[in-house]
Amino acid sequence: MYNVDFSIIYESLPQVFEGLKTTVYVCIFAFLLAFLFASIITYFRVLKGNKILEKVIVVFVEFIRNTPLLLQIYVVFKFLPEIGLTFSPIMSGIISLSIYQGVYFSEVIRSGIAQIKGEQKNVAFALGFSSFETFRLIIFPQALKNVISPLGSQVINLIKNSSLLSFIAVSDIFYISYQKIADDFRIIEYFTLCLILYTSLTSIVLIFTYIFEFCLKIKYKEVAFT
Amino acid sequence: MNDLINHIPYLLNGFKITFILSFYSIIFSLLLGIILGIVRFFKLPFVSFICACFIELTRSIPLILYIVFIHYTISPYLFNTYNITSYLGLNSVEMQTALISLTLFTSAYIAEIVRSGMENIDRQQIWDAKSLGFSTIQTIQYIILPVVLAKSLPAWIAQFSSLIKDTSLVSVIGLIELTRAAEIISEITRKDFVIMIFTLLIYFIICFVLSKLAQYLNNKYNHINV
Repeated sequence: MYNVDFSIIYESLPQVFEGLKTTVYVCIFAFLLAFLFASIITYFRVLKGNKILEKVIVVFVEFIRNTPLLLQIYVVFKFLPEIGLTFSPIMSGIISLSIYQGVYFSEVIRSGIAQIKGEQKNVAFALGFSSFETFRLIIFPQALKNVISPLGSQVINLIKNSSLLSFIAVSDIFYISYQKIADDFRIIEYFTLCLILYTSLTSIVLIFTYIFEFCLKIKYKEVAFT
Repeated sequence: MNDLINHIPYLLNGFKITFILSFYSIIFSLLLGIILGIVRFFKLPFVSFICACFIELTRSIPLILYIVFIHYTISPYLFNTYNITSYLGLNSVEMQTALISLTLFTSAYIAEIVRSGMENIDRQQIWDAKSLGFSTIQTIQYIILPVVLAKSLPAWIAQFSSLIKDTSLVSVIGLIELTRAAEIISEITRKDFVIMIFTLLIYFIICFVLSKLAQYLNNKYNHINV
């Protein structure tokens, strides 16, 4: 009979805490990179009227969206060194994670841009804004305001997907707990610990999403463009 | 190139496992997800609460953690006592684990899609059906489900395409499916690029066809108003 005994966790708590630090580091880094990547993709896809570049980006986006993240991590981790780009496991994990999530972010931001009235772009061009200024000052902030909560759910996906980095030996929460499970078969205890850690990370993101939404609602009560 | 051709059967074997897992998981998760969604929608005392707990818990943790948990707790017990999967011709603990975890994981997402679809239906329709003498089961069968099915089919297909991508994670418990097979072959032959791109293309073709199908169905059923 299996006796649930949570005192066993106390001994390995410092190591799991190291794992938590790695996960948080990976998530923050990957989020920033993914956001940057998503903004660049969206800019070139929506505002820059270059047809060939647009086609290339569409193909790239569809390719990333329709292939498993694990395989992409393997490709970045194993294939890129052969053409001379060597990264540490954590760095290659961050790169593949941010590309994968950046594509999803860009889809979300694009759906936010679709909600904005189309003539705003033309008005901005008529007032002499360059296409980058139009994107940075007019389109992007409004689109971001529309998509705070889907973006938040994508960030939660990012946190959950960051557990895949354990396949290339990045010692995150899951990797360390899995090692501990292999050591002393305390599956329920470590599973509960993982559960608590992941749910608290995602809850923090959720709370931030609500705060952002609330603040934006107060700041821009109703901006009517008619 | 020659040694790559020798390894093609190994890759196909991996593809077979991916295909079987996806196929059975799609069927079972669809059934379970619809039941869970309906139970959660009708707010039965206690049962709905359990369903809601299960759904929210499943949605908030990474799949890889789920697979490991089921592999160490439920699966060995079930394999020794009932061995339900032997009826499907999958006689190994790993296959059983993968099937159970993928099914439970996807069914939580399916349930949420079903519930949101049902909440978009006007409650008036349910009352109308009641007043016309339909029983609850008949209301679900003839009034609610056809509309929900048509409206949420695109979302289901998107979920299934993400399920197919997620089958790559079962390699954590030692199943050699498509991704793992590709990784092993690339390690044996030292030709990472060809085999990885080939595998990426296999996944891409399957998931891209599914996403196009979802888009087509979305356009087709878009006019249905509830």
